[in-house]
Amino acid sequence: MSVGRAYAFPPEKWEARKKLRKLSWLSIGSLLLAAVVIGLTVGQSQAMKTAWLSDILTAVPPLALLISLRYELREPSERFPEGYARAISVAFLVTACVLTMIGLYLLYDSAMKLVHREHPPIGTIVLFGHQLWLGWVMIAALTFSAAIGFTLGKLKTPVAKQLHSKALQAEADMNRAEWLSEGAAIVGIVLVAFGLWWGDAAAAAFISIEIVRDGWKNIRQVIGDMMDESPTKLGERKLEPLPYRLRAEVRQLPWVKDAAVRLREHGHTVTGEVFVVPRRDGLSAEQLLQETERTAERLQRADWRLHGLMVVPVRALEETSPPRVAQREESRDAAD
Amino acid sequence: MQFRLLLYIALTLTTACGLPRDTEGTLDRVRGGTLRVGFVVDTPWVTATGVGAGGVEGAIAAELARGLGARIAWIHASETPLLQKLHDGELDLVIAGLTKDSPWAARASLTRPYYVDTTTVHGERTEVPHVVAVPPGENAWQVYVERVLESRKRELAAMRYAVAR
Repeated sequence: MSVGRAYAFPPEKWEARKKLRKLSWLSIGSLLLAAVVIGLTVGQSQAMKTAWLSDILTAVPPLALLISLRYELREPSERFPEGYARAISVAFLVTACVLTMIGLYLLYDSAMKLVHREHPPIGTIVLFGHQLWLGWVMIAALTFSAAIGFTLGKLKTPVAKQLHSKALQAEADMNRAEWLSEGAAIVGIVLVAFGLWWGDAAAAAFISIEIVRDGWKNIRQVIGDMMDESPTKLGERKLEPLPYRLRAEVRQLPWVKDAAVRLREHGHTVTGEVFVVPRRDGLSAEQLLQETERTAERLQRADWRLHGLMVVPVRALEETSPPRVAQREESRDAAD
Repeated sequence: MQFRLLLYIALTLTTACGLPRDTEGTLDRVRGGTLRVGFVVDTPWVTATGVGAGGVEGAIAAELARGLGARIAWIHASETPLLQKLHDGELDLVIAGLTKDSPWAARASLTRPYYVDTTTVHGERTEVPHVVAVPPGENAWQVYVERVLESRKRELAAMRYAVAR
């Protein structure tokens, strides 16, 4: 038995999706390159160690994204009748947990360095026959890595908007946090250069707080996904007005007496149910089938992400199962 | 080309502004004052000379003091108390035939290797990089020590066998 069809992207979104794949590879490559450059100069600086780890960590989400891209368009199967669109949530859950734990560890590590008043030793390095302080080389490596993070963030934001991809938006935010924290690491090393030993560990603590914040943000998003949260705006916690738009549209149809809409995000798609109370003026079974099909098709055009929307005729809205959501009669959001 | 430019900026910063600086001002204190050196005898790296230490690393300490016009206060003890004192800032230098992979790396700051020895361990040729230890965070002092080590590399390598004989 086969139920349902796999989602197909509109053609213009296909292009963006290809770009997303390219960006992910570019991210992994350049972040690992940055990690190598920083790794070569890491020495005994806590801030450098933290920056190095965060470079490697920020390469994980694009990797998870690439893996989920391979799965999300698969046809629904007997084992997974709902399809694979939510593969991205799985990827997200893993990265969010890893991020948070490593961030907490780093925070503990740098806090201990501050408490024990550990002074960071930074020696010299011989480059092209010149012997110079490793701190300057560290600053150069950090600047390089920060430039990569900055560029990646700037490249990702427009693609994330186009695809309404929360995963990519989160990555872009992460890249931003990354170059900011590398700026902090540079400040920390400059402080050490001026003989202020705490600069290094303080910068590292700041970076780890950023990592924990990234992790927390992602966890919150995953929890939202798992709890079937109503669609939210990209990069915000605000709910989208889409359910109200659909409801308003259905209620205008001649065969509809009343309607309620329940939507959830399903990977990159949005799905859900539209409960409809038909006007009782002798609709035959055939007519009812036709009307529901037509309505489903019509509603699906309201937003490109809508897929597998169910139009369910019910006798009364109170009889929907599971119970319908208390929907405000008219929403201010629905107006726009 | 730009990389070279950065390199020169870094060099200028180092010399012009006296950066990096020490946390506890070791370099300034040693200059024209006293260099407190802890040593553990480990021939040929460190030998006992009666007044203080000789050997390859004894020569390093003497060279460091000479360059700054300082006199040396020698302290002879075993490795653990010496490195603890170094960590607490009661010593400026520890010479003990230390190697780069020493477990002390977390408490003291080990310098760049001044000499890489080759020995045979279980029939395998192993490289053993030799270092001296300075207090952590005394980065101006460490830069000075490492500069001296780098500039005397050849003499130190020659000494390694001269002392052994």
